[in-house]
Amino acid sequence: MLRFLARRILIMIPLIIGITFISFAAMSLIPGNFVANLALDPRISPQVLKQMEAEFGLDQPLMLRYVRWLWGIAHLRLGVSLAYRVDVIHLIGPRVLNTVILALSSMILTWLLAAPIGIIVAVRQNSMLDRALSFLSFLGMSVPAFFLAFLAIDFALWSGWFPVGQTMSPDYASMDFWSRIADRADHLILPTLVLGLAGVASLMRLMRSQILEIKNADYVRTARAKGLPESTVLYKHVLRNALNPFVTMAGYGLADLLGGAALVESVMNLQGLGLLLLNAVMKRDVPLVMGSVLMGTVLLLVGNLLADMALVAVDPRVNFTTLETQ
Amino acid sequence: MAEANPRLRVMRLAICAMAAAAVVAACGCRVNRPRNDHAATQTLYDAMVSDPGTFNPVLVTDSASAVATGDMFESLTRVNPRTTLFEPGLAESWEFSDGDKTLTFHLRHDVKWSDGAPFTARDVLFTMRVIYDPKIPNSMVSSMTIDGKPIAASAPDDYTVVVRLPRPFAPILSSMQFAILPAHALAGAYEAGRFNRIWGIDTPPDRLIGLGAFLMTRYVPAQLIAYRRNPDYWMRDEHGGPLPRLKGEVHLIVPDQNAQYLQFQSGMTDVYHPRPEEVWPLEQAAKRLNIVVRKVGIDTGSLFFAFNRNPRHYVRGGVVDPRLKWFTDVNFMRALAHAVDKQGMIDLCYRGLAVPAISDVSPENKIYHNPNLKDYDYNLKEAAQILDRAGYRMIRPGVRGDPQGHPLVFRLTTNTGVPVRDQMCAIFKQDLQKLGITVNYRPLDFITLVKALDSSFDWDCVLIGFTGTIEPNDASDFLRSSGNLHIWDPAQPKPATPWEAQIDHLMDEGTMVVDPYQRAPYYWRIQQILHDQLPIIETVRSVTYVAYRNTLENYYPTVWGLYRPEWIEFRAR
Repeated sequence: MLRFLARRILIMIPLIIGITFISFAAMSLIPGNFVANLALDPRISPQVLKQMEAEFGLDQPLMLRYVRWLWGIAHLRLGVSLAYRVDVIHLIGPRVLNTVILALSSMILTWLLAAPIGIIVAVRQNSMLDRALSFLSFLGMSVPAFFLAFLAIDFALWSGWFPVGQTMSPDYASMDFWSRIADRADHLILPTLVLGLAGVASLMRLMRSQILEIKNADYVRTARAKGLPESTVLYKHVLRNALNPFVTMAGYGLADLLGGAALVESVMNLQGLGLLLLNAVMKRDVPLVMGSVLMGTVLLLVGNLLADMALVAVDPRVNFTTLETQ
Repeated sequence: MAEANPRLRVMRLAICAMAAAAVVAACGCRVNRPRNDHAATQTLYDAMVSDPGTFNPVLVTDSASAVATGDMFESLTRVNPRTTLFEPGLAESWEFSDGDKTLTFHLRHDVKWSDGAPFTARDVLFTMRVIYDPKIPNSMVSSMTIDGKPIAASAPDDYTVVVRLPRPFAPILSSMQFAILPAHALAGAYEAGRFNRIWGIDTPPDRLIGLGAFLMTRYVPAQLIAYRRNPDYWMRDEHGGPLPRLKGEVHLIVPDQNAQYLQFQSGMTDVYHPRPEEVWPLEQAAKRLNIVVRKVGIDTGSLFFAFNRNPRHYVRGGVVDPRLKWFTDVNFMRALAHAVDKQGMIDLCYRGLAVPAISDVSPENKIYHNPNLKDYDYNLKEAAQILDRAGYRMIRPGVRGDPQGHPLVFRLTTNTGVPVRDQMCAIFKQDLQKLGITVNYRPLDFITLVKALDSSFDWDCVLIGFTGTIEPNDASDFLRSSGNLHIWDPAQPKPATPWEAQIDHLMDEGTMVVDPYQRAPYYWRIQQILHDQLPIIETVRSVTYVAYRNTLENYYPTVWGLYRPEWIEFRAR
C-alpha cells in the first residue's frame, strides 16, 4: 500500500505543474491585466499605472512570472492578491471552509436520501412507487439548482422561517459556542436542501440501474439458489458490488462541489469560493485565480486517491495491485 | 416483486423519521430565531457589493475600500452635498492670500486620534509626503500636481498648514480633500519602505488608528464590516451633544443585487438603493415593510456614445478609412444625434425613471452645469434630411452611402453585464437601420474594452459612462486633447482641431479663477462646444431612489452623499 501511495503522490507533481501552467498561460493570454481595471479612472494617471505594473511584476515575461509563482508554491506561499494586497491564503481559507461545510452537508443529505430510495425502487421495480419516484427524480434532474435556490430564498422571505441568504448572522461574533453551531446550522438548512435535492435525483437513478444490473447477475442467482435469505443477498452481494461507481464519484464530488455550488452560492449569498474565483478572473487577479485553481486541483487529485483507497475497502474485486496495474 | 422484508420496513421508517426530524428542526429554528433589533442598538445596517481591497486610505482605488475607510478618516475640508460648496472639516477655516497663490488652513485643536494622540499639522505634511512618493501608486497624486509640479506645504506651527502654489489653482480645495493619516502610527513603517503592505485587510481592526465618526471593530471577509461610534469625535450637535448619534454601523457584504433586495425586504438591512424596476414594487409595499421610498436625484455621471476620431487607427499606409471622415463630419454627427431616441430609452430601459442628458455635466452639479443647451430632438426625418444635404444618399434600398459611395457601416460596442446598456445599443442600432446605416453591435468584457479604448484604438463607436464629480477640473483627462481619457482621440501631441484647442485653453483659464460662480462660465462654454461639435452624443441620466426604514430619522440622502450623516438615528419607540 505504501508503494502505491508513493507512486500516486509522485505522479501528482507533474500533473499539478501541467494544470497550473495551462491556467497561468490562459490567464496571461486574455487581453488586459489587473492594472487595466483602473485605466478608466480619471484620478489615476498612466504613470501611476506603470508604477503599479512594475510593483506587481506584470511587465515581466510569462515564463519568469510562472517560475516565480511556482517557486513560491514550493515554499508553501500562494502569493499576494493584486486586488486585496494580502496573502491569497487569507482570502481563500475562510471561503473554502464555508464551501466545504456546505459541500459535505449536501453530500451527506444526497447519500442519505438517494441510496435508500434507489434501493427501494430497484427492489420494487415497475411498481407504482418506482414510477412515482422516477417521475419525481426526472423532475428534480430537470430543475437547475440555481432555480431551486431562487424558490428557496423566496420561500424564506415569505415564511420568515429561514434566514435570507448568508452563512451566519451579523452578530455571530458575540455568540457563545453552541449558539454559533446553531446559527451556522440554521443558515445551512436551505442551501443544503437545494444542493442536496438536486443531487438526489441523478444519484438515485444511478443507484437503481446499478442494482437492477447486478440483481440478475449469475453470482446473485447462485446466492439465491444456495437458499440465502433475500436480505443477505441484497446487502452482502448486490449492494457491495453496486457501490463501486459511487465511491469513485464521491472522490470527484469533493472537487466538483467546490466549483459546482458557485451559482447557488451567488443566488443565496453564501460566502464560498465560487464568487471569489469568478471576480478574480474578471479582474485578472492572477495570484488569487492560481491559488483557487491549485486548491481545486489538489482536492480533485486527493479526492480521487481517497476514492481509490475506499474502493479497496468496499469492493472485494479491487486491491492495490490491480489499481497499480491499471 | 420482492416480498415484504422487515429490514426494508425498518429503512422506510428511518427515512420517515429523518424527514420528520428535519421538519421539527426547521420549525424549532423559527421559534428561536433571534430578531436583531437595529433601533434598540442604534446600529445602521446596509449592504455593499464587494470586499474592500485595503483599509489604507491612500492606497484606495475601488469603491468598496472607499466606503470601508470613509467613516474612519477625514480630510481638511468637506463638501456640503446640498450646496456643493466647501465646508470646514479638520480645518476650521482657510483663506487665500498673495493673489490666490497661498492657501492657509487653520486646523481644529480638539481632534484626537483613536489612540489618544492629538491631530496636528504634522499628520497633514506626512500624508502629503506619502502621496507624492513615487513608490506609492495612488489616485490622489494627479489632482495634486499643478503643471507637472507638486504642491509645496509647510507648517509654521502645530495647527497651521500653509500651501504655496506656483500659480492660482482653483481646484486646490478639492485636491486637498485627501484622508489624513496618523503620522505617529505610520511614519515608522513608511520609512522602512513597508507602506504598500500597511493596513491591508488582514490588519486587526483595533490597530487601525482613525479620527472619524466611527471606528472599525470587526471585519469578517465576505461577510461584514462592523463599526462603533467614536466617543471622542470632534463634531457636536446644535445643543453641544455628542455626535454621531448612531452607536454603530454594519456594512454587510452582499455581491448580488437581487440578494441585497431580498435582505432589505427581510429587514436585515435598513437602507437599499433600488434599481428602476424595483422602485414601484417597493413603493407599493412601503406600508407593509415599514419603509420610506424617496427620490434622491439625477445621476451625477454621464453615459454617452463616443465615436472614434483617432487617425492612428484609421490611417494605415497613407489610406484614410472613410469612417474617420464620417465621424469628424459635424453634419453626420448631428444627424446621428437626432437619431438617439432618449425618451424610448427612458421608458424601455429605465421604466421612466431617467431624464434626457444634454450636457456632459449633470444638472446636479448646480454651479457648473450649463442649463442653456438645447437638445437635439429625436427626429428621424430631420436626421435623414441632414444626411441627404451633406451628400450621404441612399445608394440601394435600405443602404445609405457617403459622398464617395461607401456604404455606411460601423461597429458599436459597450461593456458586457449591464443589461440597460445592451438595450440602449439595440434601440440606437434599430433607429440607425431606419436611416440606412448598418451598425454591427458586439459587447466586450470590461478589460478587453479598456484595452481597445486606451491602446489598440480598434473601435468605431462605444456606449460608455463616466462617473461625475463636483470639481470640473477632475474631468481634465477627458476634456483636454492631451488627456488619456480624451476618448475619441486620446493623448494628442497637439490639439487636432481648433475647438479642442479652445477647450484646452478654457480648461487652463478655468483653474485660474478661485470663486466658483466666476469660474462656472468657462465650463459652460466647454459644454456648449462639446454639444455643438459632437465628438460624443449624450444619452440619458437615471433618476436614483433610496428606500429606508421609517424608524430612521435625519436620513437625508443626496446624489453627492448623505447630508449631515452624523445626525442620523433610529427613533426611540
